[in-house]
Amino acid sequence: MTRVVDIPSQFDDRTFEQFATACGEFADDRILFDAHATQWASPFGLVGLLVAGQWAAEHGPERPLLTVPSDRDVAHYWGRAGFFQHAQDWFELHGKIPRVAPSHSSDVLLAITPVRGSDDVHGVVESIQDRSAAILAELGLEATAAMGFAMALSEACQNIVEHAGTSGWVAVQAYNWRRRLGRRVVVIGVADAGIGFRRSLAATQSDRFGDRWSDATALEAALFHGASRFRDPGRGQGLGGIARYVNRWSGKLAVRSGAARIAIVPPWDDDEPLTDGLAAFPGSQVLMIVPAQDAT
Amino acid sequence: MQHIDLKTILQRTVSSRYGDLVTRPTGQAVRGGIEEELEAVTGEQVAVIDFGTVRLLDYSCADEIVGKLLLQHGRAHYFLFQGVTASHCEAIEPVLERHGLAAIARDREGRIRVLGHVPEAVADTLSTITGRTLGTDVLPEATAHELLTLLRDPQMPGHGAASAPGTG
Repeated sequence: MTRVVDIPSQFDDRTFEQFATACGEFADDRILFDAHATQWASPFGLVGLLVAGQWAAEHGPERPLLTVPSDRDVAHYWGRAGFFQHAQDWFELHGKIPRVAPSHSSDVLLAITPVRGSDDVHGVVESIQDRSAAILAELGLEATAAMGFAMALSEACQNIVEHAGTSGWVAVQAYNWRRRLGRRVVVIGVADAGIGFRRSLAATQSDRFGDRWSDATALEAALFHGASRFRDPGRGQGLGGIARYVNRWSGKLAVRSGAARIAIVPPWDDDEPLTDGLAAFPGSQVLMIVPAQDAT
Repeated sequence: MQHIDLKTILQRTVSSRYGDLVTRPTGQAVRGGIEEELEAVTGEQVAVIDFGTVRLLDYSCADEIVGKLLLQHGRAHYFLFQGVTASHCEAIEPVLERHGLAAIARDREGRIRVLGHVPEAVADTLSTITGRTLGTDVLPEATAHELLTLLRDPQMPGHGAASAPGTG
């Protein structure tokens, strides 16, 4: 049997829960991910969709199907963002796949890039620093902030390498959020289909929490208490560093893992700081949003 | 002084393609390279760890290159971190504070600053010595008293420009 999972028309962190709920239990049926009516997707949505594809391919009865967006511009955008290049590894693609190579442009600051090891993190950092002038121009930030951006990106990617137990993806794009914020923003999406925070931290942290140990407490421990699966006291500083960076620039950080989601919520956003009891979704997904410092 | 250039070590120990100090494995390899160079540092020679040609330093790498280096060698050697930028300091400061360490750094304009966990009296004293507080040739009396108290404290380390207060 084939089960259809609709990709939301506007696929970003705010509609991700609708998508995760629709995914349900991956293992039962072959899944058709239907993106034909999708009009827009953020980096968080695109890397999240790859995670769903990887998980379904590895745990489902057959490789999942994906119908590509029927809107030519949308499909081209996904192509420029590098989505199809990676999607073909996990999905049986249906529809017209645009012949466009992943590229840098004013909106795609970093095309979807796999993160499998330390070398990939170096590559991501090199790429994003090559684009630092564009990032500074997008956000009206000082040069130090662009370095901080690369540091935060590096730590988010290392989180995959050190904790996921599998590979993942990262993407960075810029948008003009006219309606939501009235400013330009840079959005980073990082996602993996790995073991998630609860399993990664269980050996060193679960005893401290006892019955309270869950996806939510694991995320709290990692973000606010610098918990790490390693007993080395120098470990566990990466997420805290990302949090300091986004706080300093009035940005947003959200980390979703398993059935929970934790966020550092800036004044311009109305997200919940901690949400538990969500639909279970594989691995971990990190969202960072850095807004322009002056209204444009 | 023994000059230790981090970019040279990075390219020797990890890859000539890289210009950034990012990821923990990179930090571990670079720390190993620094340790090899420390074997040539003798007596009271200062090991000058030069960040001047390094673009980016992330927290994980800073923990290996600064945190673990000082924890393991801060009592045997004097260190000066040279050529640090504001963004390097953003990675180094939390690492030092997490480990209860302090270090002396010199930025690219030659200004000296103390990074990390350091008693106020020591910071004031170092500021005076390094001439940051121009016009005050002597320490304020309260600072001098506090400093004397700290120096009498057996827990206060007596060796190493970068050291680990409270662990001595």
